[in-house]
Amino acid sequence: MQKNQKLQTFKIIDSDTPPLLEVHNLTKRYKTAAGETPALNSVQFSISQGEFVAVIGKSGAGKSTLVNLISGITQPTSGEIYFQQQPIHNLTEDEKALWRGKHLGIVFQFFQLLPSLNLIENITMPMDLCHSFPLRQQKARALHLLEQVGIVEHAYKHPAKISGGQQQRVAIARALANDPELIVADEPTGNLDSRTAAEIFDLFASLVDQGKTILVVTHDKEIKKYATRIIELVDGEIAGDYPVESLTRCEADGNPVQKVVSFQPTQTKPLGYWGGLP
Amino acid sequence: MLIELKEVKKIYHTPAGHFTALNGVTLSIGEGEFVSIVGKSGSGKTTLINLVTGIDDPTSGEVYVGDTPVHTLKESDKASWRGSNIGIVFQFFQLLPTLTVLENVMLPMGLINRFPVSEHIDRAMALLELVDLTEYTHQLPSMLSGGLQQKAAIARALANDPPIIATDEPTGNLDSKSAESVMVLFENLVQQGKTILMVTHDPDLAKRAARIIEIVDGKIANNK
Amino acid sequence: MILPTRWIKIFKDMWSNPSRSLIVIFSIAIGIASVGMITNAARIVQRDLYGQYSAGNPSRLSIYISGFPKELANSVAGMREVADAQARRTLSASLIETDDKKYDISMDVLADYQNIRINRYNVDKGAATPSTREILLERITARELGLDVGDKITVEIDNERRYELTVAGIIHDVYILPMTIFGDAFGYISMDTLEWMGETSYYDRLDIVTSENPGDKTHVLNVGATIRDRVIEPAGYHVMRIAIPGVGSRPGDHWAHDQIKGFLLILQIMGILAVFLSSGIVINTVSAILVQQIKQIGILRSIGAVRSQVAGMYLANVLVFSVIGLVIGLPLGLAGATWLSYFAANFLNFDVARIDLPFNIALLQIGIGLIMPTGAAAFPILSGTRIPVYDAIYQYGLNNHSKVSQFEKLFSKLRSIKPHLTLSLRNTFRKKSRLIFTLVTLTLAGAMFIASFSTRDSLKAQIKEVEHYTVFDASLDIPGGANRSTVLREAMRIPGITLAEAWSESTGVFVGADNRESEEFTIVGLPYNSQTIHPIMIKGTWLQGSGIPQVVVNADLIESKPDIKVGDYVNLKVGDHKRQFQVIGITSKHLFGSRIYMDAESYTRLTGKQNQVETVRVIAVPGKPGKPAFQDSIARQLEERFKNAGLSNSIATTQNSFFNSFTDIFNIILLVLMIMAGVLAIVGGLGLTGTMGINILERTREIGVLRAIGAANAAVLQVVVIEGLVVSLLSWVFGALISAPVSPALAAIVIYAILNTKLNFRYSFEGLLIWLAIVVVIGILSSLAPARRAARLRVREVLDYE
Repeated sequence: MQKNQKLQTFKIIDSDTPPLLEVHNLTKRYKTAAGETPALNSVQFSISQGEFVAVIGKSGAGKSTLVNLISGITQPTSGEIYFQQQPIHNLTEDEKALWRGKHLGIVFQFFQLLPSLNLIENITMPMDLCHSFPLRQQKARALHLLEQVGIVEHAYKHPAKISGGQQQRVAIARALANDPELIVADEPTGNLDSRTAAEIFDLFASLVDQGKTILVVTHDKEIKKYATRIIELVDGEIAGDYPVESLTRCEADGNPVQKVVSFQPTQTKPLGYWGGLP
Repeated sequence: MLIELKEVKKIYHTPAGHFTALNGVTLSIGEGEFVSIVGKSGSGKTTLINLVTGIDDPTSGEVYVGDTPVHTLKESDKASWRGSNIGIVFQFFQLLPTLTVLENVMLPMGLINRFPVSEHIDRAMALLELVDLTEYTHQLPSMLSGGLQQKAAIARALANDPPIIATDEPTGNLDSKSAESVMVLFENLVQQGKTILMVTHDPDLAKRAARIIEIVDGKIANNK
Repeated sequence: MILPTRWIKIFKDMWSNPSRSLIVIFSIAIGIASVGMITNAARIVQRDLYGQYSAGNPSRLSIYISGFPKELANSVAGMREVADAQARRTLSASLIETDDKKYDISMDVLADYQNIRINRYNVDKGAATPSTREILLERITARELGLDVGDKITVEIDNERRYELTVAGIIHDVYILPMTIFGDAFGYISMDTLEWMGETSYYDRLDIVTSENPGDKTHVLNVGATIRDRVIEPAGYHVMRIAIPGVGSRPGDHWAHDQIKGFLLILQIMGILAVFLSSGIVINTVSAILVQQIKQIGILRSIGAVRSQVAGMYLANVLVFSVIGLVIGLPLGLAGATWLSYFAANFLNFDVARIDLPFNIALLQIGIGLIMPTGAAAFPILSGTRIPVYDAIYQYGLNNHSKVSQFEKLFSKLRSIKPHLTLSLRNTFRKKSRLIFTLVTLTLAGAMFIASFSTRDSLKAQIKEVEHYTVFDASLDIPGGANRSTVLREAMRIPGITLAEAWSESTGVFVGADNRESEEFTIVGLPYNSQTIHPIMIKGTWLQGSGIPQVVVNADLIESKPDIKVGDYVNLKVGDHKRQFQVIGITSKHLFGSRIYMDAESYTRLTGKQNQVETVRVIAVPGKPGKPAFQDSIARQLEERFKNAGLSNSIATTQNSFFNSFTDIFNIILLVLMIMAGVLAIVGGLGLTGTMGINILERTREIGVLRAIGAANAAVLQVVVIEGLVVSLLSWVFGALISAPVSPALAAIVIYAILNTKLNFRYSFEGLLIWLAIVVVIGILSSLAPARRAARLRVREVLDYE
């Protein structure tokens, strides 16, 4: 009962303000000779600005498929995706690329930095591609972002010369390059040890505090200390969609978080994966 | 003991510094055991299984499989040894796209001269029947769903009748139903006397094994 | 200056693999340079050689006349049909070097050195006009013999009288066949000098320029006949021969015009090949870059790059290569053109006026340099950037095989009981565009190689055939002729000689129904049952007997007079004598030029020359010429005997030396062709190495999987090497097919360029088999390095990069 009471403290505050991202009946099937394999089945949810959403689930549950559909690097079989009320599911590949460049930052499990460029250049690349900042301001902005993620001292090194955790910080700085509203991350800590993983999640939390919206796919249990909301996928369907108590989050980063986020419970089935929330 | 690891250490050298993946692991596994290895990402569980299969070499320590000191073999010899002693099942199936399902299963037999060439097709067909794939014999892997591809990969792993099956997240890319049928296959194989080593981070799957070894930061934290 | 990040990436990527960048830049540069070198040199040679040739007012027609005074030239020059006519006398002699070495020298006399109007020469040094006991040496002669103005030379006339002349000047005469090529020294002397040397003062040749159609062979020859009929013969002089100067060229053309054309054609083919090959290397390298960067392309697209931006980056990269290639290629091409022009100038004896790079050639090079690489790279770039973002980042490697083409279905039938060998067969056809490039290069190399061999075999076969026409140990020319029985008696005195034959030779023409005369041919009178010739009859029969008015012609003659058929009656004219003969047979070609054979008796009736013979042929064992050394000794005895008898001072020819004189020229040309084929084979091999390298790069994971399931080094090597072998063997098959039309074409071009004739073609199956062996070696060698690299791959590193 205590849990329910706590849940009620999360009010849907901004029913007037439209959500940042809306996903309607999103379905993805992979075709094979043996028939179609559903990866994602009629998934539906929306995310408001300032949320820190963690998508969890077992391997093969469809988490990565979901994040790839949202970032537009794969095509849905059916369903709709709206970003700031604009449909993005029917954009062409190039239009999606442009949209990503301006509104979305992607963080990959394997960092995916460009090996021949130094850290600054890795970050100025999205700015160059989208012409978002004048040429002479790009470097200063890249340095500023590197400072924000805490590795400005390595600015002139190449990705291969820094550790995995540091590379992931650069990748996050790159995701921020064009100041996008939404950041999606697919297993961003999957290749990092637990201490480095915690630092990355901390970084995400601080970005959320600055008003960014983050969607992260992970199977790291620690995420519950940072996320404001958890969506659990089982066999391509949403098995649970829960807010995380601010209390838990306070434990994690030591700072009380007063942010109030939108919340739309779809099922009441307890989270099976980790045996339910504490 | 079929598999024995003695004080095994594995250190990776990267430009950003050294990374100790395994830090003094001693372990023995008997014939016919079904062992799951669990742990977080980066804990060293994949490194552990790679040392057993000879895919990776230990920085120090010894790895014995049967009477073979795996850590002393050369790369080419290790491949031949692996071909007849260990069947590997990968997370991403790794079937060869230009070969049919049947040819994929026959592939290891052609590499190791264990069975006479005239028996290859019959044996491959028998294995495909075992994993219930006979109707896809002449299909290319890309025409099959992930679950079926993984079954074909298991048939391939059994091609040279190795005593040990090693597998890293075999269900990592499968839906729960396919994952279940793969697990049932493994359980049947163990009953037939195979030794199975399975890396997973799914506690439910891990529990299906008779023994769970948990790795935390490169050391065995739990062994039961 | 701040560069946009995309440009930084382009330059850093170029730097990150400098050897690969250099290969692309150099192959572009070489393509540009070879086009520039060949086009520009061809232009310079044509401009300067042909320019200098026509600037000196070349003679269009030579009329050889029994001695005449220079006034006759004025009468001819006065004709309406004639623009100008100039008298000339040619005196053949020997130039004696200090060590008693002899060179043939021809000393010409012009009537008026102050006013040379046809075949004008330039003075390089010294006097422009030779005074008495002086000579103006052609500059090649002077250079070859190391002579300078003021030096004294000794000439020997009729092998007995020696005179000393002073070199008064060195001249450059572009109309003279250079001593370096033809071996004859040349100089101008005055009529006074000629008389001083005991010769009668007369002229023997008229050089003519017609007033109309100076380039029309038929017209010019007709004018020649008109001059003869209207002026020369009415004036009482006898015309020996009317001919177009040069080696079968058109009037007014440089004497080597056709050969130069043939040589330039071969060079142009090489230039086109160079461009083709360099674009192939560009395609290959750009494909390799794209394969390596496929994930980076995915990353760029995921952080906001539209396809045109990505494609633009790689095209810009190629453009940077092109610009650097141009910077190297333009001057390199000019240097090459300079070298080639001076080489030609030295060989053909002309002056290079200036080396320049005209705008249109530079434009052609810039066009090729910019368009060829970008055009070549466009296909791999456009297809490489089309890969969906997800596939580019996550799936490149093992799983990119969702589409199965008909082509691949066809080849899925190829299988072996060992599936890893099946794998090689299928892999071969996985990347079609890449396969096609490699195949095309290797196929071209193969076709070229087989064509070169076939050309060689055709020539060899031809030379072999010529053996049938030279069944002698030695043969000696008797200039001016001698009595048959004297000649035979002298020849038979040589110890060991059991057979001697004396042949007569004249030049004659066909006379048509309208009394028009044909070009000149050689008429040979010989014993009808000659044992030193075993002719290969294409049609009809050989001479049947003595005194029958029948002739046999050779196929060379048929080529210029295709209307002649076996059984036809023809009117032959030698000098003033005319007679009708029936053509009863046609022999094969035999490199002696157009010939008409008739028996000695008929020859006498036609020419009126009784028992006068011009050649003697001797052999020890009739039908079986001896070994080269034996032939040489016979030749020496023959020379000595005939010299002592005062019959001939000529050098005897042996059957062997006769062949050598041909094979030497052919060998040079064949060497050039083989080098071309070799270069193509090397480039094809490099292309295959590159292709195999990229294939291995793409299939790293596949090899990792093979390793993981038990493939030892041998098995991995097998998979790769068999793939290389399959490609090279395929190229062999295609090469064999393409060589069927290419070989005859190449053989025809080359043979026409050298011999100015067409020959029977022979396909070289030997070449086909040798190329098979080479291709197998190429297949193995070029896949061995990638295979080794594949075998070194460690399973963990390969499977780890997920």
